[in-house]
Amino acid sequence: MTELDVAAAPPLNEPPEWLRLNGKMVIISPLKEVVRAAVPLVAVFVAGISTHNWWQWLSLVGVVLLIARGVTHWATARYRITDEQVELRSGLFNRKTRAVPRDRIRTVDITSEWQHRLAGLSALKIGTGRQDKGKDDELILDAITKAEAERLRTLLLTKAVPAPAEQSVVDGQPPEAELVRVDRRWTWYAPFTLSGIAVVAAAFGAVWHFANDLHIRPDDFEIIRAALGVVGTESPWLLIPAAAVALLVVATIASVLGYILSYWNFSVTREQSGTLHIRHGLLNTRSVSIEEARLRGVEVKETLPLRLVRGGRATAVVSGLRTGRGDERGGGLLLPAAPVAQAHLVAAKVLREPTDPTTAALTPHPAAALRRRITRAVAAVLALALVAWIGYQLDILPFWVWIVFLVLTPFSAWLGYDRYRSLGHTLANGYLVSRSGSLVRETVALRSDGVIGWRVHASYFQRRSGLVTLVATTAAGRGGYHVTDAGASHALAFADEVVPDLVAQFLEPAT
Amino acid sequence: MSETTGVRLRAPRHRISRKAIPYWTVRALPGWVVLLAIEIAVKVLPDDPPGTWLVAVIVATAVLALVHLAVMPSWRYRVHRWEVTPTAVYTQSGWFDQEWRVAPLSRIQTVDTERGPWEQLFGLAKVTVTTASAAGPLHIHGLDLDVARQLVDDLTAATEASEGDAT
Repeated sequence: MTELDVAAAPPLNEPPEWLRLNGKMVIISPLKEVVRAAVPLVAVFVAGISTHNWWQWLSLVGVVLLIARGVTHWATARYRITDEQVELRSGLFNRKTRAVPRDRIRTVDITSEWQHRLAGLSALKIGTGRQDKGKDDELILDAITKAEAERLRTLLLTKAVPAPAEQSVVDGQPPEAELVRVDRRWTWYAPFTLSGIAVVAAAFGAVWHFANDLHIRPDDFEIIRAALGVVGTESPWLLIPAAAVALLVVATIASVLGYILSYWNFSVTREQSGTLHIRHGLLNTRSVSIEEARLRGVEVKETLPLRLVRGGRATAVVSGLRTGRGDERGGGLLLPAAPVAQAHLVAAKVLREPTDPTTAALTPHPAAALRRRITRAVAAVLALALVAWIGYQLDILPFWVWIVFLVLTPFSAWLGYDRYRSLGHTLANGYLVSRSGSLVRETVALRSDGVIGWRVHASYFQRRSGLVTLVATTAAGRGGYHVTDAGASHALAFADEVVPDLVAQFLEPAT
Repeated sequence: MSETTGVRLRAPRHRISRKAIPYWTVRALPGWVVLLAIEIAVKVLPDDPPGTWLVAVIVATAVLALVHLAVMPSWRYRVHRWEVTPTAVYTQSGWFDQEWRVAPLSRIQTVDTERGPWEQLFGLAKVTVTTASAAGPLHIHGLDLDVARQLVDDLTAATEASEGDAT
C-alpha cells in the first residue's frame, strides 16, 4: 500500500530534509479553487439574496472553507526524495503520508495552469504503472517552482545524481532530439476534429444550468424572445439547416481556439536517456515525460471529417498513463490533429521503427462481419424511426422527426459498410495491429510482448455467425485492444501467433 | 453457419459448484419483484390508472421474469467453467453472451477471494485473478468455499515462483 501511518514510518539512514511546497500557493490555491467553484457559489449567493434565505451565506462559508483547505494543505505538506522513494505527507486532522518507490515511477507530468504561471509555479504529478487504482496511485506536488519541477523530473526519470535547484536550469538540461513540432498551419485541421461541438454543448449546458439556478428564463431577454418567435413561425425545413450552419460556425471557432490554447508550441522530444518529453499549451502549459521502456505501442485516430482531409492524430500506448479520462486526457498524445502522414511519421520515430506499424496491410474480416455491421446500423435507425413515428401518433413529436430518421437510413447503411471496411488486423514486425471504427477510426499497434492476456467475447449472434471479438489485454493505454468480429478460428490462430504457447493448450480442432 | 475447419477453444476442465444455480436464481429474483411491484402500483394506486396497455406490460414482464429465472441459472451453470495449467489460468463465463479469458501465470498480480452475504448463505466464493491490465481480471464465480481456498493457495504459490514485474 502507498499510504502509511506517519508514526509507524521508521527513520531512514540520513534521510534528506523535508521540503515545503512553494509559499505562493497560499495565494494561488484559493484563487484556483474559487475560480473553479465561481459559478455555483455566485448562483447560490444570488439565489439566496433574491429569496431572502439564510443559506445565501453558505456560499461565503464555502469560499472560506476552500481557502482554508488550500492554506492548510500548503502549511502541512512536506515532501522529500530519498534513494528509495518519493514521500509526501500532508493534512491537519487527517494526516497521511504517501510514498512512491522510485523504481516504480513511469511518468512525470508537469502542468502549469494560468494561475500557476502568474507565480512561475508548476504542479508535478508522479505516475506509476498501476492501472486499477486510479487517482489513489498518484503523488502530486502542487506547487513547486519551475526550476524545482525540472530538477525533479530529470532526477526521477534518469536516476542521476541530483543537482541543486538553482544550477539545473543553466547546465542540467540533457541534450534532446526533437521528433516533431506542430506547424502552425496545421491549425487548419482543428475544425475537422469536431471538438468544438463538445465545447459549445458544455458551455450551453453551463449557461442553461446557471440561468435556471437564478430563475432567469429565456423569455426575459428581448433577443431570445424574438429568436424564439422566428423559430415558432418558420418551417422546420428552413430552421434545421439554419441551426446546423450556426452550430457549425460556432463550433469551428471554438475548435480552432481550443486547438491554439491546448497545442500551442506542441513538441515531442527524446532525451539521450531515452525519456520521451511532450510539451504543449498556451495559457495552461503541460509537459509529460514518459520512460521509453514503458512504451507499448502507438495508436492513430482519424475521425470521419479528419479522414476527408487526410488528417489524423497519434497517441502513445504507455503503461502507467491512462488515456481518455478527465485531466489525464491527452497525456500520451504524440500529435494533435495534423496531416495523417505526419502522425505516422512521429509514431514511427517514437517506436524507433523504419515505418509506422499502423500502416501495415491488414487482413480483412469475414463477410459475416459486414452483414452484422449493416444490420446493426440500419436496424438502429429504423428502430428510432419507429419510436419517432409512435411519438407522432401520440402527438408527442412533430411529423418530420421520423421522416428524418428514414432519410438517414442510406447514410447509416453506408456507415455500416465503412465500419466493415475499417475492420482488419495483422501481426507486423512484432506488433499486433488492429483497426476499427468509422466515425472515429482507430488503428492501434501494440507490441506483442506487451500483451498480458486474452479475452474472447462472443455474443449469441456472433456465435451463430462464427465470429468472435478478440481482446488483447495490456498494462498500457486503455488496458484492452479489440479485434472486432474476426472469424472465430482465425482469431484464435492469430492469438496463438501473437503470443506463442499461451492459448494453444486450450485449442482443439473444430468439427 | 459456424466454421467447419480450423480450431476452437475447448471448454475448461472444471465446473463450478451446483449450488450456484439456486444462488443465481435468488440473486435475480429481487430485481424482477421490484419491477413488477412498481408496475402494479402504477396500475392500482392512481385514481385514473393507465389503460389496458399497462396490463400487457405487466403480463409481458411476468412472462419474461419466469423465463429468465427458469433458463438463466442452469444455462449459466453449464457455461461457467475454469482451469489452471502450469502456465495459465483459463475461464469461460456468461450465458447469452459468452466470454473466455486467458492470463499467463507469469502476469498475475493478485489473487483475491470475495464472499458477499448471499454467497456466504450458499457457501460459495468468488475468486478474482488480476493482471496489470485494467481490462484483464478473471473472475471465477460460484466456487465451493473449499475449492476456492485451495485454488487461491495454488495460484499464490505458482505466481510467487514466476519472475518479472508482471506488466
